[in-house]
Order: sequence, then structure tokens, then C-alpha cells
Amino acid sequence: MKFAKSTLAGLTALSLSFSVSAAEKLNIYTWSESIDPSLIEKFEQETGIQVTLDGYTSNEDLLAKLKSGSSDYDLVMPSQHFVKIMIQEDLLKNINAKSLAAFKNLDPRWKGQWWDPNDEYSIAFAYGTASFAFNTNEYSGPGNSWKEFFEPEESLKGKIAAFSTPDEIIPAAQAYLGIDFCSEDSNEMKRVYQLLKKQKPYVAVYSSDNISSRLAGGEVAMHSWWDGDTMRARKDNKAPIIYAQPLEGLIGWLDALVVPKGSRNTENAKTFINWISQEANATTQYNYYGHSSGFIINARNAKHKPNNSPEIFPEVRVKFTQACSPVAQKLVDKVWTQLLL
Amino acid sequence: MNQIINNAHKQNASINKPFNLRLSWNLIGLMPAYLVMFFLMIIPLGIIFYVSMMTSDPYGGYEAIFSLESYQQILFTYDWDDNLNLNFQYLIIIARTLLLASATAIICLLISFPVAYFISRQSNSTKALLLYLITLPFWVSMVIRVYAWVLILSNDGVLESSLTFLGLTSGMDSLLYNNNAMLVGMVYSYIPLMILPIYASIEKLDARLTEAASDLYSTRLSTLTKIILPLCKPGIVAGFILVFVPCLGTVLEPMLLGGGKTMMMGNLIQNQFSIARNWSFGASLAVVLLIIVMLFLMWNARKSSRPIVEGSAV
Repeated sequence: MKFAKSTLAGLTALSLSFSVSAAEKLNIYTWSESIDPSLIEKFEQETGIQVTLDGYTSNEDLLAKLKSGSSDYDLVMPSQHFVKIMIQEDLLKNINAKSLAAFKNLDPRWKGQWWDPNDEYSIAFAYGTASFAFNTNEYSGPGNSWKEFFEPEESLKGKIAAFSTPDEIIPAAQAYLGIDFCSEDSNEMKRVYQLLKKQKPYVAVYSSDNISSRLAGGEVAMHSWWDGDTMRARKDNKAPIIYAQPLEGLIGWLDALVVPKGSRNTENAKTFINWISQEANATTQYNYYGHSSGFIINARNAKHKPNNSPEIFPEVRVKFTQACSPVAQKLVDKVWTQLLL
Repeated sequence: MNQIINNAHKQNASINKPFNLRLSWNLIGLMPAYLVMFFLMIIPLGIIFYVSMMTSDPYGGYEAIFSLESYQQILFTYDWDDNLNLNFQYLIIIARTLLLASATAIICLLISFPVAYFISRQSNSTKALLLYLITLPFWVSMVIRVYAWVLILSNDGVLESSLTFLGLTSGMDSLLYNNNAMLVGMVYSYIPLMILPIYASIEKLDARLTEAASDLYSTRLSTLTKIILPLCKPGIVAGFILVFVPCLGTVLEPMLLGGGKTMMMGNLIQNQFSIARNWSFGASLAVVLLIIVMLFLMWNARKSSRPIVEGSAV
């Protein structure tokens, strides 16, 4: 009898441990190298949840993955306009973000925003800008206008690199030409196309990854880039790089944590969101990532301060990209397809 | 003798079995192969055909509304004033892809034949080692191998710094991000697929034939063109197909080495599913690529089957 009991207990324990190991998983799909690996380790130790991390380099890639319906991700990190599109397209789970502990740690600026007005789906994670950065050994600047990037001087022929997707390049071109984002006017978009077409001979490569080595190594003199990434290359690798702050405006983005519809570990995803929002963790993440945090951080422990981080404390205005209507989106796609032919 | 009669008897028995029974056994026996073909080939291709004839959703995906617009788009595009114009831009991409794939296959052939011939003349142990070295790159991810070329060709890369060290050049332009870089990467990626089948056919070559040729005062060149090359033709054709066909769909080399500026079929299709979010158009391009490959393979199959037909007729 005793034997039977202990066997039973053992079996129960075994089955429990099986069910636990089956449940305690979290598949995160984020921007490449965005989350501090030491934080992931700490999270796994503290909660026993096993994290699988996967990376993408464009919102478009993420949207295509989710649209295909075959992804098995529990937590993804689209930018604001894609959050809105994904909500519209019914790709996200309503996690009642307002009720999460993380919501209290959120910077009040990012509550009730247009992409998720009732704070149901998303929690702001990080925000920043897109512009271009240049290697001071190759180009002396001044780096205060999009003109330098779109209509470069002759010496920069074949020395410029741009992002591989239109997501931030076209808004930048629109900012330079004084055209509204998501314009539905095909004449205006024709001007955008002509500008980019004229720039193309100067462009060596359209790519959104390996930017750091390409720019710091002198393969190109000027590269589309994000604020925090430029700062990390400057601080960590001592690269001679300056982040341009065009007077026409920087292109703003905000990446938010959201849970895709097909997620099988939603509770673990919420646990992660709450955990990373805690002040100490958010501060560690801020110090690692170099982009401004969506959460309230501990200013005393923050490594990047206004006096040593001009990249993420810009002095020019920032224009956030928007979710375009189907008509505007088709024009954007047309510009980009024609450009790359 | 007994044996032969027995065998003949067995064959007779199997022929005399009821036709239906044999058919059903054949069907059941081959079922796994049929199922694999059905689920892994017919169904996915069917999905591609289906999507290519639907309307694409501007945010990715498609709506189940029948439309042949995506096929129309291959030849006709709306210009900036919304006029529908005949436009060869996509045909140019297809032509460019065919050209690059042919160039890759031809360069691969020119390098592979001497290499394969050289290997086949070595001692058995050297042969094994050389073949092992040729297949070795397959153990490393394709992405990493193509990236290695980025490091070789880039500014201050392996190639430039070696040449500068030797005093051959100073401050040369970057070798990356142009068509030549792309071609180098593609030849490198696919050349083992050419060497192996050519090697296999040279290996089967009867050495007595070349000996006989030289005994009969054939020059080296005519031995090569009249004896060796015709006998190795099956291997050359197989290698050509193995290189040419995957080259048509190549994505990595144009992206990493070509700089993403010169569009190839593979990139064009990939872009329709990611950046441009026009799944139907992507699917219709995939159908066109498929038809090109099928036509090429059918043409080749007919060509290579002809001598056999002629032979049997004689």
C-alpha cells in the first residue's frame, strides 16, 4: 500500500513537472539585439520560465510573419503604426494592458495614445528616432539637414547606405520635401519617388543590418540609422560616428510589447511585461539598449544622460510615423518597388 | 535451364493475376510516395496558384476575391498619373535573372570541368580527400558562407589588405555591392553542385577509349572534344541544371553582395511578401518563375531523351 502510494505520488510529481516544463515557455520575437541578454538570464532564473529569443530587422518582416498565421510567438515588439495596423487586422490579443502592473510603471506620456487609445493591447517599451549617421573620417558634416542625405555632395557617390525598407526612409523624404506623412496625393508621392531615384546612384547598399560594421569600417560614409544604435557604436566601440539631427525633423518611433493572437503562453508574456517594467530592470535595459525607455527608470543609475547622449536627447523636432490608409500605403509600396527595380 | 523456366513461370503467374488486385497493390505500395507528393508539392503549389488569383490586402495577406490583376501587373503598370502602360520592368528583371543564372552556370562549368578531371586522375586516397574538401562547405550555413565574401570583398577586407600588403594596389574602391560581387558569390555557392556530377561522369569514362584515341593519332584537343566531352555530357547537363535552377531563385547573394539595389526574381518575390505586402503579385511571380523552370527542364528532358529514341529506332 505504502509502495503504491509513493509510486502514485511519484507519478503525480512527474506528471506535474512535465506539465510545468511544457507550460513554462516564452517565445519572444523582437528587434535583433534589443533585449539585454543578462536580463533574459535573470528573468529565467527568477521565474523558471524558459525564454526563446528570435530577432527581426523590420516591422514588415514581423507583420508578414504574423499574417502568415504560422508563427508561434508569445511576445513581439512592433512600432506604433504597426501596432495600430495589427489591431485593425485582428492579429493581437487583448491583454487588457491597463490592468497590468506594468501599466503603473509606464511613462504617462505613452498612455492612451492613438495606436491603442484604450490601452488594451500594448505597453510601450522603448522609443527613439531614425535619421542618418556619418563617419567623420569620410564626411565632415554638419549633419543638420536631410539634404545631405538625399541630395548628397558628389564625393559621396557610392558611399551612402539606406534602410532596406521604406518604413522610415519615405517619411524622412516626406519631411525633407515638406509633404505630410501617409500622403494620398500621387503627385506628392511622385516627388518622393524622384528624390529617392536621384539619390540611388549615391547609394551603395540598401540594408538594415550590420550597419555598425559597415559605417565604422568606412565601407560607407553615411548610413540610415537609429539614435540609440549610433550612440552604442560611439560609446562602446569608440567609432568616429555622429548622429545627424536634421532641422526638417527626426523620424520618431515607439516599439511596444504586444501579444499575438496565436500565443499559447499569454500568462508568461504578461509576467515578462510586468517583470521588465520594474524600475531596476527597466534601467538595466535602458543602459544596455541605449534607446529611451517607455517605463519610468531610475535616473541616478541611468548611464545615458542628456550631457553625454545627444543622440537620444534630440534638440530638433521629432515626427512620429503614422499608420497609413490603404491608398497611402499603396503609394508607398509603389515608390519603393519602382525605386528598387 | 530449370531456373530460367521457373523465372518465366513466375513472371507468367504475376501477369495472369487479376488486373484490379495488382493495381490496388501498386497503389497501396506507392501510397507513401503519392502522399508526400500530394501534401508537400501539389498542395503548396495549389496554394500559390490560388493566392496568385486573389486580390491582395494592402496590409499583407489576401482577400478571397477573384482577380487576375496580379498577372496583368507583370506586363502593365499604372504610372504616376494613373494611366495603364505596357511596362517591361518586370520582364527586364526576369531577363536579368536568366542572364545571371546562365553566366553563373557557364563560369561554374569552365572551372568545374578541369577540376573534376584533375580529381579523377588522382590516387584513390587523394580523390577521397579532394571530394571531401569540395563537399565540406555544405556543412556550413549558406548565410555564413556568403557573409564570408562580404568580409573578403569589403573595404579593408581580406582581399584588399592582401593586395595592398603585396604592393599591388593602394586605396582601391570597394569591391562590394555590384554585379560582379554577386556573380562571384553565386559561382562560389553553387560550384560544388557542378563539380560532383561532372566528376561522376568523368570517373565512369573508360580510360581505354582515350588510349585508343591517342594510338590512332588523335590530337589532345580532338580527344577532348570528340571523346571526353560527349561522354561526359550527361554529367555536364546535370551540373548545369543543378546550378542554373537554384540560381534563378537566389535571394542571399543579391541582398548581401549586390547591395539590394539590383533586383533579381528571388528578391522581387520575397519583397512582395514582406516590404511591398502584395502577396498575390508575389504568388503570380512565383508561378511565372515556376513555369520558366518547368519549360527549361522539359526542353532539356526532350533534348536528352532524343538520342535514346533514335538509338532504339536503329
